[in-house]
Amino acid sequence: MTDKRREFPFLPVFLVGGVALFAFYQARAALTPFLLAATFAYVLNPVVSYFEAHGLRRFHLVLCGYLAALALAAVAYAGLKSVLLEETERFQTRAPAYFQQFQRAAYAKQAMLSKNLPLPPKIAANALDSALSGALNTLRELPSHILALLPLFAHALLVPFIGFFFLLDGPGGVDRIIQTCPSRLVEQAIHLLSEIDMALGNYLRGLIIVVTIIFILSFLGLIALGVDNALIIAAISALSSVVPYFGLVMGILVGSAMAFYQFGAAMAAAKVALLFLAIRGLEETLIQPLIARHSLHMHAMTNLLVLILGGEMFGFLGLVFAVPAAGIVKALVSVTWSWYSSERGLAPGAAAGAGVPYT
Amino acid sequence: MSALKSLKRWFIDPQFSRKKQFLRSLDIFKDLRDGELGQLVQALHSRSYREGEVIFVEGDIGRALFVLETGAVELTHLGADGQPHVLYRLKPGDFFGEMALLESLPRTATAKATEKTHLHLLYKSKLDALLSGEPRIGVTIMSHLARLLSARLRRLNSDSKLLTAKND
Repeated sequence: MTDKRREFPFLPVFLVGGVALFAFYQARAALTPFLLAATFAYVLNPVVSYFEAHGLRRFHLVLCGYLAALALAAVAYAGLKSVLLEETERFQTRAPAYFQQFQRAAYAKQAMLSKNLPLPPKIAANALDSALSGALNTLRELPSHILALLPLFAHALLVPFIGFFFLLDGPGGVDRIIQTCPSRLVEQAIHLLSEIDMALGNYLRGLIIVVTIIFILSFLGLIALGVDNALIIAAISALSSVVPYFGLVMGILVGSAMAFYQFGAAMAAAKVALLFLAIRGLEETLIQPLIARHSLHMHAMTNLLVLILGGEMFGFLGLVFAVPAAGIVKALVSVTWSWYSSERGLAPGAAAGAGVPYT
Repeated sequence: MSALKSLKRWFIDPQFSRKKQFLRSLDIFKDLRDGELGQLVQALHSRSYREGEVIFVEGDIGRALFVLETGAVELTHLGADGQPHVLYRLKPGDFFGEMALLESLPRTATAKATEKTHLHLLYKSKLDALLSGEPRIGVTIMSHLARLLSARLRRLNSDSKLLTAKND
């Protein structure tokens, strides 16, 4: 038996990973479309792989898939064009009225609240004034916050274009890493890549399932309640669901506000809030158990911490990719420990009952 | 009819078919269906080794099965004299390191490519994924490994009986 113990160069891997992360942080604006394209390709890869397993050429599959998606998008656009235009026009014409109605309702409630608050009248009026002006400012700034996300939509064409090449390459990148890796470390490299693939793939695919289901349920629910701009509200709620709990909050805020403006009744707003709560409940009880194996099994506080860090460092994209990035780090740590323990003989050895003679 | 054939040829990946054909020729995978072989091809990783390159060393913790497609591999064991003794020479179609799929324990031999070699690797976690996602593939491989293990144990038993009889 050889004395030369095999050590996986975890320190260099961590160092290279850290340097790569720093470089990515510095060049994040230029690399964003590539990151989005890689994610896009990664999420779609299982579909290509499914057909590829039947012996079909990857290039032809990707090409046909793109053509089919283009045709589908054209049909969907033709079908939804009128709904989208109608919703946008209605929102544009009614937005000033909505704002004024909110202002009037808020001032009316302010007078009533300042009478009933158990505070001296002047202090109560001041507190309500500052709260109201804060809320109105937030409402006024909402469009600019939404506009700040527009550069992301500018990648809408670039991402599928770059994603096409990522999809064509498929597992080629992994094979190149394995080929470059020193031969005795191939097994560790595959272990690490498999763990990352499992953590990342399951999380992203699970997330897409959740976002799609939330979008469909919200859209149908809002239509059933007769709320205007159902498509936009459902899209906002579904896309915000990428950040845990944010989708529920956005759905309730935007949906209830719209229902309140539209019907002028608190009951309508409450119904919309109930709808989003019910969707959340459905997601918790029916959808999440189905995709539970897709989760990264991270503590809620860890989730929150990585979300804050991601948001602080990379903005909106940081919020989206913080949790999967933490999943990669977790996989790296888990592989490090697994290899350390097995190479040092800390892991359980032969199965029990090995001493019984072979009969 | 010929148009359909040329369309099929245009769509079918010849390299993928060749890999499937190669796997079908191996005892361990021969009971798998066509679609299952396709999934297995996707679960395997490929790597080429130069002549003299060490694949793994005796004592390394094993986690993958290796299938030899082209080239040659030599399995050696370090003797009491400190010199490597050749245990077996593998030829294309042979597989080795299979016990790593059952347990992650130290390798009992060193594997070295004796010429330019191309190997396919089936990693333990991929087999675990196949066992839960595609049980028929996983069970077929595991059942073959169990039969192999049993045969080797029987041979070991009879060898040790012969040795005991000789010593008596």
